[in-house]
Amino acid sequence: MTDTSPVAQADLLCTNCAGQCVYRPETGALTCQSCATEHTIAIDRNADPAAEQHYHPDLPHTEQPVFAQDRPFQCGTCGGEVIFQGHSISENCPYCDGAMVERPGNESYTTLGLIPFSVGRDQAQINAQAWAADRWAAPSDLGKRVSQSRVAGIYVPFWTFDSKEDVDYTVFYRVMRGRQTVTKFHDGLMTTEFDDLLMPASPHVTPLIRDGILHEFRPSNLRPFEPAYLAGFAAERHHQSVREGLRLNAPDKAILLRNRIKEHSGKTGIFEVSYVTDTTGIRYRRILLPVWILHYEHEGTPMKIVTCGMQGRTFGERPFSKTKLLALAALVSSAVTAFGFVWGALQFY
Amino acid sequence: MLDSLAPIVATALLICIAASLGTYPVKKLIQIREAKRELNRGSSGYILTISGWIIIAIWLIATWFFATITGDWWATGDLDGAIERSARRLELILRLLVAIADD
Repeated sequence: MTDTSPVAQADLLCTNCAGQCVYRPETGALTCQSCATEHTIAIDRNADPAAEQHYHPDLPHTEQPVFAQDRPFQCGTCGGEVIFQGHSISENCPYCDGAMVERPGNESYTTLGLIPFSVGRDQAQINAQAWAADRWAAPSDLGKRVSQSRVAGIYVPFWTFDSKEDVDYTVFYRVMRGRQTVTKFHDGLMTTEFDDLLMPASPHVTPLIRDGILHEFRPSNLRPFEPAYLAGFAAERHHQSVREGLRLNAPDKAILLRNRIKEHSGKTGIFEVSYVTDTTGIRYRRILLPVWILHYEHEGTPMKIVTCGMQGRTFGERPFSKTKLLALAALVSSAVTAFGFVWGALQFY
Repeated sequence: MLDSLAPIVATALLICIAASLGTYPVKKLIQIREAKRELNRGSSGYILTISGWIIIAIWLIATWFFATITGDWWATGDLDGAIERSARRLELILRLLVAIADD
């Protein structure tokens, strides 16, 4: 039976006992919570979720924003009303706990593909706690606070961007001439390409956390959007146009470009880089990536530790203990002072 | 007696000042350690976190420099002479800092 309602639910019921099914990262299958029957997820073999879309910044775009207001749906299992809030596209019915996944509609911001979870909840919890325990100069109660919180699985919207950059640059650098420091400059031209720059399209994952948890991205792992992968997990849809995504990605790209220019110039002692770039060949994907997020609080400040749902890499936000920082600074200061004191006493130089 | 104690007191004071000024460089040092171990090399987050490490070098070199003066003072009992002799070290340090700051 194929479910054609705006919310996928009948497809997420067990064909054996009609129980509620959820996606299990450990097996990669839809698993019945009542009889534990595993159902293989059928995907459209003709779909190419790794395909990239072309973007021409000079052409008019007709993308319509997805409205973020609450959307009520009736649970097909128990009849209860379930509210999908904001950009959420996957919920559990609060009455019967059944998974409900909103299907993509006619909006332009359709998710083009996703990578399913392969790291389970228990492993993610272990990784998050181990990450917190491994922090230097952390408050003594950090481990306890983190262990009191639980990870939650969510599919987070991401962009991938490709582009080709023709760069006309100038670097300013310093060289030593005898005892004098001389400032010089060097002009250059460079062509460089960016391939699959990942940009989070949700505040759940900051660019720094992305760099901690996503070390490799393989487009071949992308799957077509299929509600079964989302069953039991929270998920957000994209809510930015490509133009907005590119604008958010610009500071990241500028840092990488400056670094590439420094390497290309072959100069050392660079203290300033200026450039003009002509960007062409922009391609993008609108995808969902799986993450486990553990939220905790330190002195009233909300913080999070994020574990990648694909490889299990973990990174997050952490507090520092002022006392421990001072103690470490005192230790290092004492060692350096002792070294300098002996140096001065022996009058080496 | 007081003269021989003065360099020691000055050194102790130096440790206190260096420690209190050192909390930010130590925090930066820990962030750089975490970045090197955990962030994707070459990513924008990695480059941003690594940048600014010069503050650690300035803190360590400045502490070392003032400690050489107190050590010299303690050995010779001549503060003015120790400050004069430190001038050559200061020049070397400043050139070293200019060189590493650019990188």
